[in-house]
Amino acid sequence: MSETSKQAVQTTGHAWDGDLQEYNNPLPKWWVWTFYATVVFSIVYWVLFPAWPVGKGFTTGFKEITYKTSSGQEVTTHWNTRALLAEEIQMGAEGVKQREYLEKITSSSYEEILSDPDKMAFVRSMGKVMFADNCAACHGSGGNGVMTLYPNLVDDAWLWGGEIDDIYNTLVHGRKGYMPAFTETFNGEQANDVAAYVLSLSGIEGDAESIKRGDVIFNGQEGGCYYCHTHKGTGMKSLGSANLTDKIWTIADVPGVEGYDAKQAAIKSVIMNGVSREMPAWEGRLSDSTIKMLTVYVYSLGGGN
Amino acid sequence: MAHTSVGSPEQYNYAIVKKFAIMALVWGVLGMSVGTYIASELAFPFLNFDIPYITFGRLRPVHTTLVIFGFGGSALFATSYYIVQRTCQTRLWSDFLANFTFYGWQVGVAGGAISYMLGYSQGREYAEFEWPLDLAIAVVWVSYFLVYVQTLRRRSQPHIYVANWFFMAFILATALLHIFNNLAVPVGLFTLKSYSLFSGAQDAMTQWWYGHNAVGFFLTAAFLGMMYYFVPKQAGRPVYSYRLSIIHFWALIFLYMWVGTHHLHWTAIPDWTSTLAATFSILLLMPSWGGMINGIMTLSGAWDKLRTDPIMLFLTTSLAFYGMSTFEGPMMALKSVNALSHYTDWTVGHVHSGALGWVAMVSFGSFYHMIPRLYDTKIYSVKLVYVHFWLATIGIVLYITSMWVSGIGQGLLLRAFDDYGNLAYTFVESVSFMHIPLVVRALGGAFFVSGILTMAFNITMTITAAKREQAAIEAKIAAKMANA
Repeated sequence: MSETSKQAVQTTGHAWDGDLQEYNNPLPKWWVWTFYATVVFSIVYWVLFPAWPVGKGFTTGFKEITYKTSSGQEVTTHWNTRALLAEEIQMGAEGVKQREYLEKITSSSYEEILSDPDKMAFVRSMGKVMFADNCAACHGSGGNGVMTLYPNLVDDAWLWGGEIDDIYNTLVHGRKGYMPAFTETFNGEQANDVAAYVLSLSGIEGDAESIKRGDVIFNGQEGGCYYCHTHKGTGMKSLGSANLTDKIWTIADVPGVEGYDAKQAAIKSVIMNGVSREMPAWEGRLSDSTIKMLTVYVYSLGGGN
Repeated sequence: MAHTSVGSPEQYNYAIVKKFAIMALVWGVLGMSVGTYIASELAFPFLNFDIPYITFGRLRPVHTTLVIFGFGGSALFATSYYIVQRTCQTRLWSDFLANFTFYGWQVGVAGGAISYMLGYSQGREYAEFEWPLDLAIAVVWVSYFLVYVQTLRRRSQPHIYVANWFFMAFILATALLHIFNNLAVPVGLFTLKSYSLFSGAQDAMTQWWYGHNAVGFFLTAAFLGMMYYFVPKQAGRPVYSYRLSIIHFWALIFLYMWVGTHHLHWTAIPDWTSTLAATFSILLLMPSWGGMINGIMTLSGAWDKLRTDPIMLFLTTSLAFYGMSTFEGPMMALKSVNALSHYTDWTVGHVHSGALGWVAMVSFGSFYHMIPRLYDTKIYSVKLVYVHFWLATIGIVLYITSMWVSGIGQGLLLRAFDDYGNLAYTFVESVSFMHIPLVVRALGGAFFVSGILTMAFNITMTITAAKREQAAIEAKIAAKMANA
């Protein structure tokens, strides 16, 4: 063991396990002074902020915050996180900007909002976040929906209408989409025929005889599909029934499968199993101005028919 | 350096040290592999495979339990039993109780891991064990305390070596933390579920008083005990400063107890508790560094050994990471920094710079010193020790840097505003940003695991060779006896 240490420091004189010893060097000066600096830092912190419990209360510190209560009264209190939040929302730069824009949205008509690029830029900015927080779970963050489950909001097809009023009503009251299951009504061949007919409405041609039989079922009492989808197959906004002629598919994944038989099977599955889905109502969950803003946002995605 | 003779089996109870050391490596390999797997799950969620037992939520406590209590705990049992015997020059008190702590601890760790995979968890971080296991662990821990104190009392040295203070503080504080944090009322005698004795903010503060002191006493104080023995031993030099060791010991154990609430900044707790937690965390900086200074300064004068001794590389690197993470910790405990760092990967990176860089590295270094001495042999391959060192170091660097990028990026994205006062990014945008850093993190984990696998191989070969040598010697003696 090298004992040629330059230090003139002695060990404590103890030895353990043969060769374990300890020098008795003084504490490094920088270590001590840095420790004192942290003590000073802490004391300053304690003087400014709530710090030490005393009896049933605590030392509040000298730092103060001024904010307005919900009744508009100005209050000055010792620093605390609730007051800090109130102050930031009321006077913070971001909060002020957002509030000014939201007020503009509330006081403007839809036409005014849609024709003003600045207001629309705000709608896209806040709408994106509100949509992501509340709508994206089903419709996807871009509004593309999920094939077979949730409607796509960026295409031109609108089950319940794509005008401002329609979208607003959908947001406020929610929607319940329902198509009965025909599994008890049709046998497999009948369902195939109806599916062939529905495909032909979109220009996908199959066996002419089968399509003819499907037409009879669709537009006659046997199937009665035309009650909701109309004789032309264009659907009805008031019922939320799908337009079967626009080549846009949301429930039967026709574009996602290859070959006529697979496409026919996709439609047959919807006919046999029916559809039942619901969009929740947002009135009361979101503020009026937020719903208004989201209406414009969704309209801007693909609204208007 | 005068080689100290290895104690004969009669003098010291080495059997218990060997058992704990081997189990530490077994749990280390398992726990770190599970860690790498769940890191991969976060980067590639399909790896959950919709199998409930291996989803992230269940495997995460398996990982933390296996590495903290399985690997770390067993390593501490092994080294503390080794150190207390050698520095007190006395045999461990009660072979029976020592064995009981071994089997009890292993059953506790295994039981915990299995129960989490089956979905049984108390939901308290690092204290997920359900109440029957908590009770069993408390009994094992009290036995540990008894063995340790009784051994200290029987020492044939007048003074108690500094490493033993740290181990005593660790054993006492862990008992306190474990028992109070797990106070609960079982729903029924034959159910694993229980209700915490505390509620609301008090429950959260109790949990984080436990959680942070698990870091402070289990992962810091105890491993400082390890450091205080193996660093001067391996360097062949006296500890730098006895005075510093006393001051930083008492400052450390006094201050740690106050800081747990910094895990709850900006939540529904009284503001004054947040202030105390933040300021005591800052006050803790220098006492934490006392250990690093004492370790590093002990090495000064023996720097040349870094070129020839891979064990010194492990020990020095561990002290460097200890210094870094105990600086980073107080900074993150400041409320303004915490507002950015909390709930992000920065926290995960911080924990791992301590867990991998400090805890695991100092354990590896200590084991490479201790295990050949336990078996009275030499390490199988010094080259493989170097390989392990570099694999581990590369793994840590990849892990920490990727988590800084991921965590700080995540924090900045989530609080960025656009020109209209709206949040600029959605949550999912922050998630997709994190993908690449998460992949790099998993890669870092894979490096670290391959390191400990290298070690497991090296140690296995060392022990096998030692047993062969031992058998050869015994055969020779037997032959001589027969001839005589």
